[in-house]
Amino acid sequence: MDKKITTQSIITFTKNNLIIVGIFILAIITSFVEPNFLTVGNLQNVMRQFGPLIMVSLGMTFIIMGGMIDLSVGGIISLVAVVTISLIDPIGQAAALMVGVTIGLICGLLNSFLILKGGALKQAEALFLTYGMSVVFTAVALIYTGAAPVFMSYSKTDFSIFTAIGEGFIGPASTSFIIFLVCLLILYIIESRTHIGRSICLTGGNMIAARLAGIPTEKTIIFIYAVSGVMAAIGAVVLASRVTIASPLMGKGYETQAILAVVVGGTALTGGKGSVLRTVIGTLLIILMSNCLNLLGVTTYIQYMLRGAILILAIWLDNRKQYSEGN
Amino acid sequence: MENNNAEAILKIKEVSKAFPGVKALDRISLEVFRGTIHGIVGENGAGKSTLMKILSGVYQKDSGEIVFDGNKIEDITPIQSMKMGLSIIYQELNLVNTMTVGENIFLGRFGEMGGREAVHSKARILLDRIGCQIDTQKEVSELSVSDKQMIEIAKALSFDSKLIIMDEPSSSLTFDEMQQLIKIIHDLKNKGISIIYISHKLDEIFNFCEVVTVMRDGHLIETRNVNAISRNEMISMMVGRTIENEYPSRPNYVGETVLEVENINTKLLKNVHFNLKKGEILGFVGLVGSGRTETVRAIFGADKVKNKSIKLDGELVSINNPIDAINNGLAMVPEDRKIQGLLLQFSVEKNISLASLSELTYYGFLREKEERDISERQIKSLNIKTPSAKTKIQMLSGGNQQKAILGRWLELKPKILILDEPTKGIDVGAKYEIYLLMKKIVEDGGSIILISSELPEVLNMSNRVLTICNGRITGEFDPLQASADEIMAKAFEF
Amino acid sequence: MMNTKITEPITRILSAQKAPLAMLLIFITMLFFKTPFYTSYNLIDLVNSNSTLLIVAMGFTVVLVAGGVDLSVGGVMTVSGIIAIELINSGIAIPIAVLISILFGAVIGMINGYLTVYQKTEPFIITLGMGVLLTGVAQQLTTARPVACDNPDFQNLANYKLFGLVPVLVLVMIVTVIVIVWILRSTSFGRNCYAIGGDYEVAKYSGINVLPTKTLAFVISGVTAALAGVMLSSWVNSGNSIYGDTTALYIASAVVVGGTSFAGGIGGAFKSLLGVMFIGLLSNAFNMLNIDSYIQQLLVGLFIVGIIWLDCYGRKVKRESV
Repeated sequence: MDKKITTQSIITFTKNNLIIVGIFILAIITSFVEPNFLTVGNLQNVMRQFGPLIMVSLGMTFIIMGGMIDLSVGGIISLVAVVTISLIDPIGQAAALMVGVTIGLICGLLNSFLILKGGALKQAEALFLTYGMSVVFTAVALIYTGAAPVFMSYSKTDFSIFTAIGEGFIGPASTSFIIFLVCLLILYIIESRTHIGRSICLTGGNMIAARLAGIPTEKTIIFIYAVSGVMAAIGAVVLASRVTIASPLMGKGYETQAILAVVVGGTALTGGKGSVLRTVIGTLLIILMSNCLNLLGVTTYIQYMLRGAILILAIWLDNRKQYSEGN
Repeated sequence: MENNNAEAILKIKEVSKAFPGVKALDRISLEVFRGTIHGIVGENGAGKSTLMKILSGVYQKDSGEIVFDGNKIEDITPIQSMKMGLSIIYQELNLVNTMTVGENIFLGRFGEMGGREAVHSKARILLDRIGCQIDTQKEVSELSVSDKQMIEIAKALSFDSKLIIMDEPSSSLTFDEMQQLIKIIHDLKNKGISIIYISHKLDEIFNFCEVVTVMRDGHLIETRNVNAISRNEMISMMVGRTIENEYPSRPNYVGETVLEVENINTKLLKNVHFNLKKGEILGFVGLVGSGRTETVRAIFGADKVKNKSIKLDGELVSINNPIDAINNGLAMVPEDRKIQGLLLQFSVEKNISLASLSELTYYGFLREKEERDISERQIKSLNIKTPSAKTKIQMLSGGNQQKAILGRWLELKPKILILDEPTKGIDVGAKYEIYLLMKKIVEDGGSIILISSELPEVLNMSNRVLTICNGRITGEFDPLQASADEIMAKAFEF
Repeated sequence: MMNTKITEPITRILSAQKAPLAMLLIFITMLFFKTPFYTSYNLIDLVNSNSTLLIVAMGFTVVLVAGGVDLSVGGVMTVSGIIAIELINSGIAIPIAVLISILFGAVIGMINGYLTVYQKTEPFIITLGMGVLLTGVAQQLTTARPVACDNPDFQNLANYKLFGLVPVLVLVMIVTVIVIVWILRSTSFGRNCYAIGGDYEVAKYSGINVLPTKTLAFVISGVTAALAGVMLSSWVNSGNSIYGDTTALYIASAVVVGGTSFAGGIGGAFKSLLGVMFIGLLSNAFNMLNIDSYIQQLLVGLFIVGIIWLDCYGRKVKRESV
């Protein structure tokens, strides 16, 4: 089928992907105003940003595709970070890593059990339950460390893995970038080729019909929250490795950023459609936007504002699109 | 038939209404006189509720004329209709459960009435007028259905209604509550208020209605004085029709029992039990809400029903969810395809392969080529008209959507296929294709449970018919031996 | 599977009388401990420190009753407090500055309402985004440092003690509570909100103007949040950008505890007051008992999860009673 690039099709594309186009234009403007933008150094800088946020966002993608929401990831990050780093001494770094990821998994499973047993299958209900769990997880982190941060450098035993994650390189790419790629690959394969991956979309698309057709909707919900917990844990490890500190409040704000990344990338909040690839684009766009705005001298606070504004805009546009697609 | 002393409060002339694919009302003409209790009867889909919704302003008519109390009704909203003096009490009851009795009566008119005190005292007066003693401060959610109806009647009176439509008011009432309702209806009549009384309970129509209108398939068959018609005549009018659809010859071979269902008890269902034989099409005949869908959902594990007993080929099986059902060879095409059957945003292919995903899974991975094969196969064999397998299923016509859902289940070659209103909203050509398909399924050794509100369909396709009324199985018939009237009578046996 | 015959009535009773019973429990428990709990100082402080939250909770309740939710209240609080201070610092008279701040809240409420009601978008995510946006605004306006007011009279706004006893803040809170209680109980608008939250379709068919009514609910939420924000910044004489995200969810949980439901149509201003006071009381009791503040957070978090879970579970049981 021949797709002609007419003015009409460009206009339609723009309408459907306003945010992507907007950021694209921003990038073009930046490259004119600030010559440093297109340097290798800057691009590497951008790559470096693919850290904790992208991990959490990947996990959040499955959640949103499944028609749910998870506000507890911030709390999970805090908890996993402090526990993992504090365990490097007692049990060694490898074991500490495994414990960390397991904690993430357990938190996710806990969320899903609460949601399933409580019948909180509407997004709004899951919202408040997971928020409550976030408070709980954060509180556990605070109690565990007595609110004091845990310094990685104080560890007496070997923590080279973490250093590698935080600063190391494998070839031209940073270790964290490689970790991201591996996670992306795994999640993409799950999403596009496996039964459970397909079940996520189906559950998010129409839970009632999916269930009646034999899709294991309950198992699917457990799965997406488990993945979200694990990805938050991985994000926590990357974050802690980067800053070499684990503090019990360090996860704060990640959930809203992750939701933003997913929505900007084009995955519908209502569920059923979407992809981790889109979230990568969404995160990239947000990072790119930050990068451009930084180079242009815009303060972080205005950037924060813009994030909120774009979130609202993205949801509103997505809503309009759903409506026009015949609902 | 004419009422010499009264005039018509409501004149309906040649009113028609069509929805996409369905003509719901075809040139209905009807007069309701002042102070009359006017019954309306008809099967599911006869058009009664469509007509009522047009009168109450929820729908707008396509053509024709309606004159109420001397005023022409055009493009009105529900509240305007009520203010004109035409009130309707729906079966589902139009009340806000979380608010009090008094407030519900004056919903939206709190300020008009003068605030909380006034609302409650005025409500009290209205309730006393109909002999209802409910406390106006009570929350509606705590009331019985009978009490809720009283509230709705009081609401109608608060608008000074001249005509009150009651849509199936008695389905949840006890005998005593019914007597109370009848008394109130007579009181209202004596005050000069007309009542349109819609009910499946023919006894009620004969009991206290003065005039009755019979509807069928969107047509008004006849309006007659109640004392000039017999029960059998009424049923005949509701049921009898020229058969437009053709049906394939009835499948013949019926073998051993494959399914035994016992002890299904829910809020609605009372000890439902029946058998299904191999190669048989078993039809369920009953009114909407009689429990047909509830029964099959219980069998399929869609609803949690405790202590039910399901035996397949003589062996007890445990079915607690749809996955269990599918694993045991059951399949179900649900009643409402838009909400329960289709994933509208997904492709035809994905909708067809939906139930087969476990079959397509090897070590967790889906075999995409086989998925494409499945959908191609079903599209071809069922003659599903679609631009491609990847088209969004939302784009297909109702008939083709339904075929896709059927294809989804046929792929599994189920032993027992449950069809809940399989041809609803589908054109004649597609219907016939589905009938042929059903025949082939049972010829190949499968069994079918068929639920349909189209009596000819059930009677022509089934080897055996069960009638169900108010949660109970009331009869078992061979459609070749029994008449449609006989069977339908059992569906009205409350 | 829990035996629903037992749990259903228990859940119902719990839902109906949660807050008052629980508060009574706390009062009784505290009798057994030797703490400064039962001093006038403590009890007065309790009221003072919860007053701003109470003001916000009132508007929040109106939205919830109407079937919506407003998670931007924290952001509105913050920004309006900062706006008031900045305006006063640039010479504008205090009453006018306060008025402008409150108007700001109304405008935000209108935007929230428009997007939710007229554009039919999910309120929780729209207002969540709005909250994020506003927090950013707050940070920008203050460059993340708390701002103080140059005009000493500003502090008096909230702190001035009427009759030497009652701070204006508390008075404003009491007035707000009375006004909202009155609105929800005795006005057409208030009753219509209950109808809309209870059953949107029925409300619509009864001739209630659902769109403007629900939007007005959002405006009220914005106004009370702005009012609270101004009061708070006067009370502590500082405009701070940290109040942001958590406020709304905290209040939401407190309000559910009090008996106002997310489903809409249930609850009321007074119930919400009890809910907020209860959680405030709980925290206070914990402090008095010298319970570690983080353990407090954990307990409060668990409590919130528990209450909301019960609320959902109750609905699930109702849904599945076939």
